[in-house]
Amino acid sequence: MSRPFPYAYLSCPCADTPMPDPSRKRRSRESPQKPNPEQPHPPKVPQGNQEEDEEQEEDQTFDPRSPRSNFSLYPPEQLLYCEDCHQIKCPRCITEEIVCWYCPSCLFETPSSMVRSEGNRCARNCFNCPACTAPLAVTTLENVTGGGSQQGPWVLACGYCMWTTLDIGIKFDKPTNIRTQLFKLTDSSRGRQMSKTFTDLKSPLSTYASIDEQFAASSTESKNGDLAEPAPLDPEAQFAALKNFYKNQIAETSSSPTDPLGPDFGAGFSSPGALNRIMSLYTSSSRLSSLYGGTSKKPKSKPPVMREALTASEGLKTPAPDAEDTIIQRMVSDDCGWDGLASLEQRTFQAPDARFVEDLLPLPVLLRTKRSKRCKSCKHILVKPEFKPQSTRFRIRLIALSYIPLPTLRPLVPGAHGGLPTVSSSSLAPNLDALPPLRTVQLLLTLKNHMFDPVRVTLATPSVTPGRVASKVTILCPQFDIGANSDVWDEALQGTSVGDQRASSRGGGLYEKVAEAGKVWDKGRNWTTVVLEVVPGTLPGGTAGARRRVQQATGADVGGTTTRARGGDGISGDDDDGSDDDALPALDWSGQGQDPGPQPQQLQPDEDVLEIPVFVRMEWDSDNQIDQEQSVGRQNADTVKRELAYWMVLGVGKINPKIV
Amino acid sequence: MPPKAAKGEYIETDTGNKISRRSHIHGTQHIILGGKTVIQAEAVIRGDLFRSSSSSTSTSSDQNQPAPSAPSVAITVGRYSHISKQAVLRPPSRLHRGVHSFYPLKIGDHVFVGERAVVEAATVGNHVHIGKEAVVGSMAILKDFAVVLDGAVVAPGMVVPSWCVVGGAPARIVGEVGEGYAVEGADGGLARERYRLVGR
Repeated sequence: MSRPFPYAYLSCPCADTPMPDPSRKRRSRESPQKPNPEQPHPPKVPQGNQEEDEEQEEDQTFDPRSPRSNFSLYPPEQLLYCEDCHQIKCPRCITEEIVCWYCPSCLFETPSSMVRSEGNRCARNCFNCPACTAPLAVTTLENVTGGGSQQGPWVLACGYCMWTTLDIGIKFDKPTNIRTQLFKLTDSSRGRQMSKTFTDLKSPLSTYASIDEQFAASSTESKNGDLAEPAPLDPEAQFAALKNFYKNQIAETSSSPTDPLGPDFGAGFSSPGALNRIMSLYTSSSRLSSLYGGTSKKPKSKPPVMREALTASEGLKTPAPDAEDTIIQRMVSDDCGWDGLASLEQRTFQAPDARFVEDLLPLPVLLRTKRSKRCKSCKHILVKPEFKPQSTRFRIRLIALSYIPLPTLRPLVPGAHGGLPTVSSSSLAPNLDALPPLRTVQLLLTLKNHMFDPVRVTLATPSVTPGRVASKVTILCPQFDIGANSDVWDEALQGTSVGDQRASSRGGGLYEKVAEAGKVWDKGRNWTTVVLEVVPGTLPGGTAGARRRVQQATGADVGGTTTRARGGDGISGDDDDGSDDDALPALDWSGQGQDPGPQPQQLQPDEDVLEIPVFVRMEWDSDNQIDQEQSVGRQNADTVKRELAYWMVLGVGKINPKIV
Repeated sequence: MPPKAAKGEYIETDTGNKISRRSHIHGTQHIILGGKTVIQAEAVIRGDLFRSSSSSTSTSSDQNQPAPSAPSVAITVGRYSHISKQAVLRPPSRLHRGVHSFYPLKIGDHVFVGERAVVEAATVGNHVHIGKEAVVGSMAILKDFAVVLDGAVVAPGMVVPSWCVVGGAPARIVGEVGEGYAVEGADGGLARERYRLVGR
């Protein structure tokens, strides 16, 4: 889900944790309990250009194009905040615990004991269409006549692709307990099946547990009556037999009672024989040959090797000699055709020997979970939802937005209203999907404070964005305060002072205001807006005019002789980016864009996206206003200086390849 | 709210609904808007498709239907909901015992319906986001905080649980939104801003 421009992502500092120099990188995390008001890193910089200096001090500007940053950037509402660690927590820094299981279709809870015994699928009437995965509805066949008294046979019907269970010849007697009915029907009545390709039995250890167990309800009977075996088992029974067999095998062959996989995973996963075999591959190569040789025939004495299932009663399934031929003949027959074959997507959710559309069985809906979330480092609970599946409330919910200012970006439209962050609707707004290069865009960055303490914020950004497309960025007022998120009624009751401020700001929006350096643009009760000036850079491989202008302006070596440049023009000048990308080989999908490679003219994927890394550092005095804030950090007085710093990335828009 | 010129694009009602003059609303007496609802231009709202006793009794005369209350409601929309341009709201219908009848469409608060989306759901909860050109099939149920991605086709009768993101055709659950979803001002919590900006 990529977002429309403009957007703001926050970087979770956990991606930097394994950096070799922790003393430096500590700054991108929080130094929570700093009683000393003197910060070791004063935001004030002696030189004039604050951004550049900040960048040098940081010595590692966050690069939104770096491949790593993909894993650390999150939309603000997905981040949590740990009050013990005083850190932003992204989905990678938390552990999850299942609170309850529920069916997403009927929204009934399934007890976890039942999930363990019956599998994680809805045991009621909820099924998905095997052809298209849409939910199936229970409908009666006696619909047409309107005779209300007689309840006809029932079928499962898909409202999306019009598949019904009639297609596989299944009707139900009553509209309840479909799952058990279906199980009974498929258990016995599907002997008519022609196909049987149970090839996966070759390596049962690796496959059967994952495939068969999940689709326990789906079963297809094979008719290999010509085998001399006792009646061939349907997959359900076969699975049970195999499971039983291997459980016994494990019990017999397991030498170490402290198997790490243990009984938690059930027999199928904790095969010490398999584990021993794998381990011996790496430890002693001398054993390797003997083990490989002796696996099937005779177990070696030293490590008790598990044997595989040998008879049908143990779960072995031998396909009939003509099984493949039968399938092929059925495939080429006229009544099958292409439409009669199940697609790969359909077969992945079916029993292993389902090859034709007639083999498809309705899929019981997979259950979903509600999960509580804990901080990985301190085990503090961050999110704890209500237990009931239908409830949307939380008992505990420590989201980052309650602690860090919510950033919102929007283009500054001349003559538009100031005020809270808004979705721009004016036609005067610049088209963010095609920003003209080298033309200054003014943007309003609003930070809204949700804490009950006023916050002092310092913003820093590299004066030129990293990467080949060098866009110039200036934050006109990099240091400002945001008011506390006090009660709205306080403000209303206080009347004069805040009201004046508001009135002035409101008035300021009405006439055309000019962005001034060093002044905040607008300010409200708990939010502050500052202006960003952005000069989008030119894209490599743009028009010749663009390149010339860049060369004149910056003297940068955009690369290539005139002829090469003209060649680049021919490809990319009049086309859009997509065809440009298609036409040229050797794209750098790493997102780095640093090394132009053999074709410097070429625009790398997403290189035209203008993203600005901004370093946010916030300080606030946490005093005893509310309970949330006084958990740990209180030292001597009633106020504690807190500091939190992180990177955020502002997605401004896409740069137009052409200079207008 | 500065008073607009008399012939603005939007008609603002007493309860703060902003309704485009270019929207197509049928059967207004069967539609309830909760206030501060925005209906943009060329949106189609079919309040005329309500459950009528006549249509049901004509085919199945022996059944005594529950007598419909005098103004039967076809569509209910909650506060701060936003119906974008060219979106279509249609009450769901179902063939029940041979009778094709309509059921009311209930839309909660802070719901966003994207451009050219077609909604035939039975229930749309609060803070639901329906992307542009999405189709929500008949009798579907979107619980609170559900998100339907752009262009998704929610199959008829599907239930989308809370906090779930569905996408594709037919729609499947493809993810979940974060815990901070629908916090005021963040993603999913922009309904008031959206309302403020309409008609300016």
